[in-house]
Amino acid sequence: MRALRSTLLLSICSLLLISCADVRAWERGYLAREEMAWDPDALESTLNDHIFFSKEASSGGNSAAGGGCGCN
Amino acid sequence: MKNSASRSIIALSSTALALPGIALADAPPTQSTISYKLSNYQEDDLARSEAPLGELERYDIDVHQFQLISPLGRKLSVQVSASYESLSGASPWFTSRGLDGEPIVNLSGPSGISDRRSELSVGSRYYLDNGSFAGNIGYSEENDYRSVYFGLNGERHYNNDLTTVSAGLSYSSDKIFPTDAALFNRVEEDDKQSTSLFVSVSQIINQVSSFQSTLSVTELSGFLSDPYKLRDIRPDDKTQIAWSNSYRRFFVSANAALHVNYRYYHDDFGISSHTSDLSWHQNLGRDFQLVPTLRYYSQSAANFFTNVDDFLKPTSEYQSSDYRLSSFGAISGGFSVIADMGSWKTTITIERYLANDKYSAFEVSKPSTALIKYNRVSLGIDFRF
Amino acid sequence: MNPTLKHFSFKAMGSFCEIQLFDTSRIRAKNVVTQLIDEVARLEKKYSRFRKDSFLSKINASAGNKLGLAIDDETQSLITHALNCFEQSDGLFDITAGALNEIWDFKKALVPSQSQINAARAHVGLHKISCKNSHIHLPRGMQIDFGGIVKEYAADSVARLARSLGAEHGLVNLGGDFSVIGAQPGGKPWIVGISSPISAGGIMTKINLHDGGLASSGDYERFFMHEGLRYSHILNPMTGWPSDGLRAVSIAANLCSLAGSAATIAMLMDELEAKTWLEDSGLSYVYMDSEELIGSAGLNSNN
Repeated sequence: MRALRSTLLLSICSLLLISCADVRAWERGYLAREEMAWDPDALESTLNDHIFFSKEASSGGNSAAGGGCGCN
Repeated sequence: MKNSASRSIIALSSTALALPGIALADAPPTQSTISYKLSNYQEDDLARSEAPLGELERYDIDVHQFQLISPLGRKLSVQVSASYESLSGASPWFTSRGLDGEPIVNLSGPSGISDRRSELSVGSRYYLDNGSFAGNIGYSEENDYRSVYFGLNGERHYNNDLTTVSAGLSYSSDKIFPTDAALFNRVEEDDKQSTSLFVSVSQIINQVSSFQSTLSVTELSGFLSDPYKLRDIRPDDKTQIAWSNSYRRFFVSANAALHVNYRYYHDDFGISSHTSDLSWHQNLGRDFQLVPTLRYYSQSAANFFTNVDDFLKPTSEYQSSDYRLSSFGAISGGFSVIADMGSWKTTITIERYLANDKYSAFEVSKPSTALIKYNRVSLGIDFRF
Repeated sequence: MNPTLKHFSFKAMGSFCEIQLFDTSRIRAKNVVTQLIDEVARLEKKYSRFRKDSFLSKINASAGNKLGLAIDDETQSLITHALNCFEQSDGLFDITAGALNEIWDFKKALVPSQSQINAARAHVGLHKISCKNSHIHLPRGMQIDFGGIVKEYAADSVARLARSLGAEHGLVNLGGDFSVIGAQPGGKPWIVGISSPISAGGIMTKINLHDGGLASSGDYERFFMHEGLRYSHILNPMTGWPSDGLRAVSIAANLCSLAGSAATIAMLMDELEAKTWLEDSGLSYVYMDSEELIGSAGLNSNN
C-alpha cells in the first residue's frame, strides 16, 4: 500500500513536470498574490487543524509542527 | 489612487526583488506583521433523548490567537505565536444502552471539563540564495495536559525555482495527568510521544497555477486512550500516513483564486479517511475579498470501535466508544469576508460543521451517537508595519 | 589589525559615485571595487540613453518595427518592474515620458503650447508597448528612458555583488542612490546627509542607514521660473505639465530600487496626495513641501 502510494506520487510529479511551462521570475505575478499562497491565513489554518484534530481521527499531511492537546 | 500605498509598496518590491542582480530566490518578508484572531466555537446541544442523565450542553470555546512575524536583518525572520483557549461544557463520559436498547451518551458535568489551554511557540527561518531552513519550539499546557514540541524543516528550489522540495520532522513529548484521578479511578499520570516526518514537492505549472503534494508519516506511542472515559482501552502505539495534494489556480478574468485540496489518511487503528475542500477567493476591487469554502470529510471506524461500552469484556481487549473512532462523514461550509486597507487587514469568518454517520463514504456497522455539529465565528486582524 | 575605511570615488551614469569599504587591505578593497565599478559601467553602457551604442538606444531605434526586438532577461525584468511602477502609480511613473522632455526646454525656460503637449502625449503611455516572448514592440515615435530605475538597480546590484565578493561593511552611492553592503563594524549605521532643496550645499537632515537602500527625488536640480510660476522638470505624463507636488523626497527601504520607485511616484503626485501616500506606505521618508516645510517618518534622523 505504501509502495503503491509513493509510486503514484512520483508519477503525478513527472506528469506535471512534462506539462509544466517555463514560467520566468517576472511572470509569476499572479502566483505571488497573497490569495494564491498555499496557506494564505496562517492563524485560520492553525485553528482549523486544531479543531479537526480534536474532532476527527485524521491528522497530518501539512508541514506544520504543532503542540499536542489532551483531546484524544 | 486605486491602490493603498502599503500594498503598492509590496507589489513594487515583488518586481524589484525579481531584478536579476538583486534577486535572492528567498528573502525574509519585507515588513513585520502582527495578527490576532478571536474565535468562538460552539457545539450544538444534544437532544434530551440522546443524553437522559447528563448535561445537554457541549463545548463552548473561546480561542485567542496571536502571531508576530518579523524580518531580522537580510537573512532571517522570526516568528512568535501564542494562543489561549478557555472552554466550558461537557464531553461524553460513557455510553450505555437506553431502555429501548438504543445507545445513550452520558455526559460528564461542566465542572469536570472547565479548562484553559495556553500555547506558546517561537521559530525562526534562515534564508539562503536557493532555499531556507527553519526551526521552532513550543509548549502547550492545560490543567491536565502538557506538551513540549519542536520542529525542523528546510526547502530548496530547483529548476529555476519552478520546483520546490521541502522536508522536515517534528517531535512532541506530552504528559497527561487527569483531574480527579483518585476519585474516579482514572490513570494518574502517563505520557505520549509523537514523531512526524514529511516530504513535499511543489511545482509551478504555468503563470496561473501550481500544485503541491505532501507525504507525512507519524509515529505515536504511549498513552493514546481517553482517560476520562470509564472504559477506553486503545493500543499504545499508532502509525499514521497522510498524503495531501493542493492545487491553486488564478482566474484573471474573474480576478479570483481557486484552492482545491485533497488528503488521504490511513492509520493502523484501521481508520482510513478522505478529506477534500474547495475554496474560492474572490477579489472585489482591490480592498475586499469574499471566500466561500466547502469541505467534506469521511472516515472509517477503528477496528476496536464499539458504540456501546462493554464493561464485561476483559480489560486486556481494546475497546473505545469515542465517536471520533466511528465511521462518519462531515460536511462543513464557511464564508470569509476580508477587508485589506493598507496596513490593516480584517477577516470575519463564519463556519458551520455537521457530522453524521449517514454522510460516511465508508461502511457504518456501528453508528455512533454524540456526533457533533458546531458553529464557529472568527474575527481576525492583521497589522503590517 | 582592525579594518579601516577605504574610500573610492568615480564618475558614472552622469553622476558622482563613491564606494566605501572597511577592509584591512587597501589592495584587496581596491580589487573588489574594480569589479564593482565594472558592473556599474556595464549597466551604464547597456542602458544609457545618451550613448548611441547602448542597448537602450537600440530599443528606442526599434520603435515602429513590426517584428519587435529581442530582449534579454535583465531588460525584461526591468521593464516588468517599470510596468509595475506604472500600474501602481496609475500611470504617473512612466518610462515612456521621454517625448515630453523634448518639448519642455528647461534651458530656454519656455512653456510649450497645449497643442505641442497634446502631440507629444500621443507618444507617451507604457501600456501601448507590448513585451511578449522575450520581444519588445515599441510603437512608432515612442521611446524608453530608465531614469528612476536603472541607477537604483545598479546600486542594489553592486551592493549584492560586493557581498558575494566577501565585503561585509560598506556603502554604495551612485549619484545619491545609496545601497548598503553592510553596516559599519560593530553594527554602526552609515550616516547619509540629505541635501536641502533650498540652500546649495546645505543639509536638510541626516539619515542613519543600517541596511537596505535610500533614494531621493527632487526638483532642486532643474526647474525654471516663468511669469512668476515655478516649473519643475518632473513632468506628469497624464497631463504633460510639470507636477505640482513636493519639492524633494528621500525614502529608505529594504532595496534602493524600491526606494527609488517610491520616491519617483511620490514626487509625481499632488502635494497632499503624496503626503498621505507616504504616510500609508509604511516606508521611512523625509520630504520638503512647496512651503519648504519638512515632514518625515520612521527615520532616526539626527539633525
